[in-house]
Amino acid sequence: MLKITPEEVKLVTKYIYEISGIYLDESKKYLLETRLNGVAEEQGCSTFQDLLKKAKTDVSKSIERKIIDAISTNETLFFRDTGPFQLLQHKIFPELIDARTPKSPQLKTNLKVWSAASSTGQELYSVAIVLQELLGDMSKYSIKLLGTDISDAAVSQASSGKFNKFEIERGLARDKLTKYFSMSGQTWKINDQIRALVNFRKFNLMTPFTGLGKFDVVLCRNVAIYFTLEDRKKLFNKIADVLEPDGYLIIGSTESLTGICPRFIPKRHLRSIFYQLK
Amino acid sequence: MMNSMTILIADDDPVIRKLFEKRLKKEGYEVTVAADGMEAARLLDATSFDVVITDLVMPGDIGGIELLKIAKDKSVDIEVIVITAHSSVDTAVDAMKKGAVDYLEKPINFDELFLRLEKIAEVKALMKNAGDLREAMNVTESSAAQTIQDLEIVNSQQQALLDKLEAILSDSHQDEYSRLEQALQLLESR
Repeated sequence: MLKITPEEVKLVTKYIYEISGIYLDESKKYLLETRLNGVAEEQGCSTFQDLLKKAKTDVSKSIERKIIDAISTNETLFFRDTGPFQLLQHKIFPELIDARTPKSPQLKTNLKVWSAASSTGQELYSVAIVLQELLGDMSKYSIKLLGTDISDAAVSQASSGKFNKFEIERGLARDKLTKYFSMSGQTWKINDQIRALVNFRKFNLMTPFTGLGKFDVVLCRNVAIYFTLEDRKKLFNKIADVLEPDGYLIIGSTESLTGICPRFIPKRHLRSIFYQLK
Repeated sequence: MMNSMTILIADDDPVIRKLFEKRLKKEGYEVTVAADGMEAARLLDATSFDVVITDLVMPGDIGGIELLKIAKDKSVDIEVIVITAHSSVDTAVDAMKKGAVDYLEKPINFDELFLRLEKIAEVKALMKNAGDLREAMNVTESSAAQTIQDLEIVNSQQQALLDKLEAILSDSHQDEYSRLEQALQLLESR
């Protein structure tokens, strides 16, 4: 296996920060080594410095994409941490539907949800399943569920709606599995009805949030932890800009906005916290 | 390593059944046998198995494919290996599309079977390890989450109090004495 020198650790972490906003300090030497070895080998590079040089001069940006895919963490589960989904089901969605249902029965109720770091899609599909269970007949609603992630590989897997048994078994109850997925070989595929509710695309949270529109709910869980304090501040400030005045923000269960964004106030429901604009 | 997996054999041929039982027990596996699909289904209903090895063609309503479905419905963790005649590999491939982990052709090559069982055991051990780690992470995470939530709420209440205090103390419409009095009242009412 290719070894990374201390000098290369500095250069590579700087490069990764520039292309993705993911901040790795020098203690992450081992992570860099193990995750980037495959890319270096594939590109025929004998040092990490070679790989950097190649990535920076590659106009197609395909090496840059491969480095992002390798370095971004895609550990995720269906209904990971039940709290946020119970919150959505029992509080946030019922309140939003009350607030958004138009007086005229001819008009549809609009709902827009954004999973800001959607990884391979489990979170957003879980949200879609919650909505389907809650609303039943979807014809009266116009629902837009957007999932974005920095990794092309994650976005393309999320879009396929296909999961292997390792990705699916934990977290998903058997009744939901058989109701919303069909099995082909060792692969489970999400039903078309649920798939039609969601949309995935690549997006770098470090870039401006123009053209996204406003959201009723933003889920931004366990991604800001990879950013510097300064970048976290910028991120949540931009999220505040794209949230409806009565919208809801959900962050990871061990994350906090204290000292990060004074525009939000935390509110507690059951055992979970959500944030709203002041 | 001890072979600690529990295996259910479903085959209507008593000779093959006996052979499986003998060879697998010798390797250290815990083996239960069923003479047809129905018996195997009853056993699956009553006990849990790590692996089911089933003949595809058996008399009665429950053949290998039906048994595969019953096993997978009970738990996706149960791995199913189907046994097929040399000429019907297509059916075996169909079984794999329906969730079987592997197939064996008759006559059974036991060395091959043992290798596949070892692989299955390895994957199961890895899955268990990942599950244990996830469990440990969940416990740590939920305990940390409660602490952080408490702090987050307390902090936001303190912040709101500070904001109010600031508003009172900087209220130029009132004299200093009544500002201080109100500020003290606010602090005492906490």
